[in-house]
Amino acid sequence: MTATTLATLVGAVATFAVFSYLVKDNAAYRLVQQAALGAAVGIGIWIAWRDVLRPMWWARIQGAFQGGRAWSDALWLLALVPGSLWYFQLSRKWFWVSTLVSGLFIGVAAGLAFKSQILLILPQIGASLKPINPFAGPGGLTWASALDSFNHLLFLVGMMTTLLYFFFSLRTESRLLKGSMRVGRLMIMLTLGAMFASTVMTRMAYLLERLGFLYAKWLAPR
Amino acid sequence: MDARERGRAAWLFLPFIHPSNPPFIPCKVGKTAVNVLAHLHRLDRRWLYLASAIALAVPFLVRARIPMPPTQPFLVTRRLYDAIESCPPNKVVLIDSSWDMGSQAENEAQLECVVRHLCRKRVRFVIISVQRAQLGPEFAQRAIEKITAEPGCERQYGTDWVNLGYVQANDIKVVIEALCRDLHAFRPNDVKQTPVGQLPLMQNVRSIKDVHLLYSVTYSPAEDWISLVKGQFGTPVAFGCMTIMSPYYHTFIESGQLSGMLIGNWGAAEYEALLGRPGRGTELIAFASFGNCIIVAAVLLGNLGLWAARRGRREGK
Repeated sequence: MTATTLATLVGAVATFAVFSYLVKDNAAYRLVQQAALGAAVGIGIWIAWRDVLRPMWWARIQGAFQGGRAWSDALWLLALVPGSLWYFQLSRKWFWVSTLVSGLFIGVAAGLAFKSQILLILPQIGASLKPINPFAGPGGLTWASALDSFNHLLFLVGMMTTLLYFFFSLRTESRLLKGSMRVGRLMIMLTLGAMFASTVMTRMAYLLERLGFLYAKWLAPR
Repeated sequence: MDARERGRAAWLFLPFIHPSNPPFIPCKVGKTAVNVLAHLHRLDRRWLYLASAIALAVPFLVRARIPMPPTQPFLVTRRLYDAIESCPPNKVVLIDSSWDMGSQAENEAQLECVVRHLCRKRVRFVIISVQRAQLGPEFAQRAIEKITAEPGCERQYGTDWVNLGYVQANDIKVVIEALCRDLHAFRPNDVKQTPVGQLPLMQNVRSIKDVHLLYSVTYSPAEDWISLVKGQFGTPVAFGCMTIMSPYYHTFIESGQLSGMLIGNWGAAEYEALLGRPGRGTELIAFASFGNCIIVAAVLLGNLGLWAARRGRREGK
């Protein structure tokens, strides 16, 4: 038995063990679940060293001491100082030391998040303001401009009624508001329906991928 | 068929009824079908799992296919295709291939079809994995090497394409900001640990300004690509995402912040139709049609069952 055949066999057994959960929770499922978790952590640590820490940090320091790189690359050793400050979170007495570095990280993340959200949301607000006048186009009233207007109107009604549903979720006697909120609820239900269909499609793709593996690699390998 | 025969026929549905349900009792004439439907409403979901698995296994075991009529590709797919078609020769396409076995079911086909297009069009590309998929570079490398071995898609590593490997991104905004400004400082070596300065392709690719399009293919592409790469640097961004995540990204298509999107295997199949070469996406979506039939039937039966149960309750009062 070659290593590939053994790996395929293990994969097939693990697949069946995971699917057995659909019948009932069992020891085989839990074993595979724990093994997958352990393997993911192990692989993560190894790849963090192989692809990140070794080439981008350790190789520079090593090169500086061996003469292959500039002496200033040895300063990367100083990265250990802020890095090791994180471990003070394990001590109640010295916890405050870790806040020096965590504060720095939170500050950087908050600054970038602020910029990122502004650049993400402002164009969304601009794109929400759509023309609904079919005569406003350069060619006047055409089938295309009429359809565009209808589409934009539908979008605006959907957006406004959905917002109304959330902003005015209080008891109201106004028929107009009640009707609008009902339309908003309908829009939300349509969206949730689309999301549900997308979920089903993704789950189907997962199942298909596993069945493909079982058939093409295990049952009838070419 | 008289009342007794109807009742007997209804017993055929008994295996699909959960043991915890009340026992099935054929009732008055004309009520049997409603009674069966009312019980189907409370069908144990495990029967649905089994039916889906059997339906999806059918195309593997027998050469049966549901005919798929040719359709117009979805606008978002067409836009991605056009964006790659318009790539100038002095620029590259940057691909964030951050998927591994967790989302291989849909992301693999999405990467393959775009890479096939790039290879045919002779557009150079750079691969990088920055989101939480540590095995992303290995999966991408394997998929691309398979495609570059196909006739008409032969491309050379280092000259025509480069894999920069995996970068741990606890905060992806920091990583995106860094790679946009200086790709060489951000990633000194490629996945084979060759210094990027020694790779011919990377001589002319130093920052996001040398990139024509960023294509992020992963389970759920980070919206920071849109805000930073498109919003700050003006480089077009396109996504390949799992179907489950697609409703969220449609708003960015409407606003013009996304230049295209492949939605699950369906998007990949449409892209392959545009390329004129059926591939993995087309095959998977044809297979999934069998499972979709079961889901449609289950939704119909579930709704009929709900109607029947309500009617039964109403009449019982």
